[in-house]
Amino acid sequence: MTAEALASKVAGRFPQVVMAAVPVKDYCTLRLTSASELAPVVGFLKEELGFDYLEMVTAVDWLGPVSPEGFVRGGRNPNPFASEEPPTPPAARNPGAPYKPVFDLLWCLANIPERSRVFLRLEVPRDRPVVPSLCAIFKAADWQEREAFDLLGIAFEGHPNLKKILTPDFLVGHPFRKDYAHVKDRYDE
Amino acid sequence: MTNTAGSRGGRFDQLFVNLGPQHPSTHGVLRVGLTLEGEVIVKAEPDIGYLHRGSCKLAETRGYHQCVVLTDRWDYVSAMPNNLAFCLAAERLMGLEIPARARHLRVVMCELNRIASHLLFLGTYGIDLGAFTPFLHAFREREMILDLYEMLCGARLTYNYIRIGGVMSDITQEWAAKTREFLGFFKPRMREYDDLLSFNPIFLARTEEVGLIDARQAVAWGLSGPNLRGSGVSYDVRKADPYSSYERFDFDVPLGKRGSCWDRYYCRALEMRQSVRIVEQALDGLPAGDIAAKGVSKTPKPPPGEAYAHVEASRGDLGIYLASDGGAAPFRLHARAPSFINLAILQEMLVGRKVADVVAILGSIDIVLGEADR
Repeated sequence: MTAEALASKVAGRFPQVVMAAVPVKDYCTLRLTSASELAPVVGFLKEELGFDYLEMVTAVDWLGPVSPEGFVRGGRNPNPFASEEPPTPPAARNPGAPYKPVFDLLWCLANIPERSRVFLRLEVPRDRPVVPSLCAIFKAADWQEREAFDLLGIAFEGHPNLKKILTPDFLVGHPFRKDYAHVKDRYDE
Repeated sequence: MTNTAGSRGGRFDQLFVNLGPQHPSTHGVLRVGLTLEGEVIVKAEPDIGYLHRGSCKLAETRGYHQCVVLTDRWDYVSAMPNNLAFCLAAERLMGLEIPARARHLRVVMCELNRIASHLLFLGTYGIDLGAFTPFLHAFREREMILDLYEMLCGARLTYNYIRIGGVMSDITQEWAAKTREFLGFFKPRMREYDDLLSFNPIFLARTEEVGLIDARQAVAWGLSGPNLRGSGVSYDVRKADPYSSYERFDFDVPLGKRGSCWDRYYCRALEMRQSVRIVEQALDGLPAGDIAAKGVSKTPKPPPGEAYAHVEASRGDLGIYLASDGGAAPFRLHARAPSFINLAILQEMLVGRKVADVVAILGSIDIVLGEADR
């Protein structure tokens, strides 16, 4: 199924779901407009179009480039390739970049017999990152949502066991957020 | 704490058993919290993260070429597909065209790595179930592949051989001859493994009826690689979404029937035969030409955009999502790690099984914790 045919099939049922302006290159990418659409659209894709394989769940924090200060220990940058000059402000570095205070969530569903896959995207505000969980539809969502919760602090509503998975218990904050700053713990020198 | 009646009229308390994180049969630092009632597991909670290094976050402060090194450390027993997945995503982002010779060399290296990785699985799975001899045989052959890699790029495990735009270095005549020599040595050995392990009655008894995953369950949990194919679902990224000119090679995708531990094991054993076929074809039809695309910047700054590329790594579907903001470092790197996703099914699969089967089931999933934790 081509990307356009798939997008028009979905748009036939959900007219507000359109092809994303910035697609994941070479793949059909659909943009959801609100979190409440997620479960119906995914259910439609699974039950009627055969996308029964949840390949990936992740999110991007579009706040801006990460500040290296969060990684620096003892005032010196350990990266020998880093410039010695003070960092330029992010906005001046990459003028065309679409920075905004949102998390862009990304789901990838695959249809194994037809060899096609589709990406779903949804923007949620950074100050209230809540989306419905897909655990009831795909069991594969269980750990991947826990990972996104642990690393980016996205709350998946309805997840039966939403707790840390990769980072240690004593770690404060969500390290993959762009504004994460390291709090000294017992493993720092 | 609940009590249930035991078979002899006694009463069993629930018992919590902590398997790992330092335990040879957990293949790394995996901890599984098992709640037992007598011999039967009533709850299993895999606990990972002991090896979490945040490599995807590290990538956000490093240039694209430097990130290839980080990918080596995910699945450290088969690092070539990791390199390849990252490079494919970066190349898609930059719009690079890869010369045919480089694509063939990538295929050769990834398939040799698949053989090495499956040999490691075969050997350690035998040890898990009490067969020590196959391990020595498998490691003898694996050592030969590692020697080939050492000759090729100087590293035995963390290669950094596949680079953005192509590969690091061309192969020599001597290397090709040694690889053919290895393939000639290796082909008859696969029957030896079958005699030693695959059809050994004790091994069959431990694995044939154990750890059944049906096709629907496997798809629902998002399994990939031999774990999914062992349940009879024909999904191989090399066929479903071909990359790096895999569409030009003639090979089969072995499938299991019932999704038992033995099916998953034997899928891997058959895959090694297919990998040998692919390596032979790739070496025979190796095109002349460049080994890397021309004009790849040393500090590439791809235009803002997003790309996804996935490969059939030794453990399953390894997907790399890259987002660029136009800067010199990836804005976001996410790895869909097959070990991480394959591991999640344990919490459902182990329930209702006897504690003696845990190691057989765990081993058959074939995880590498470096990849699960990233």
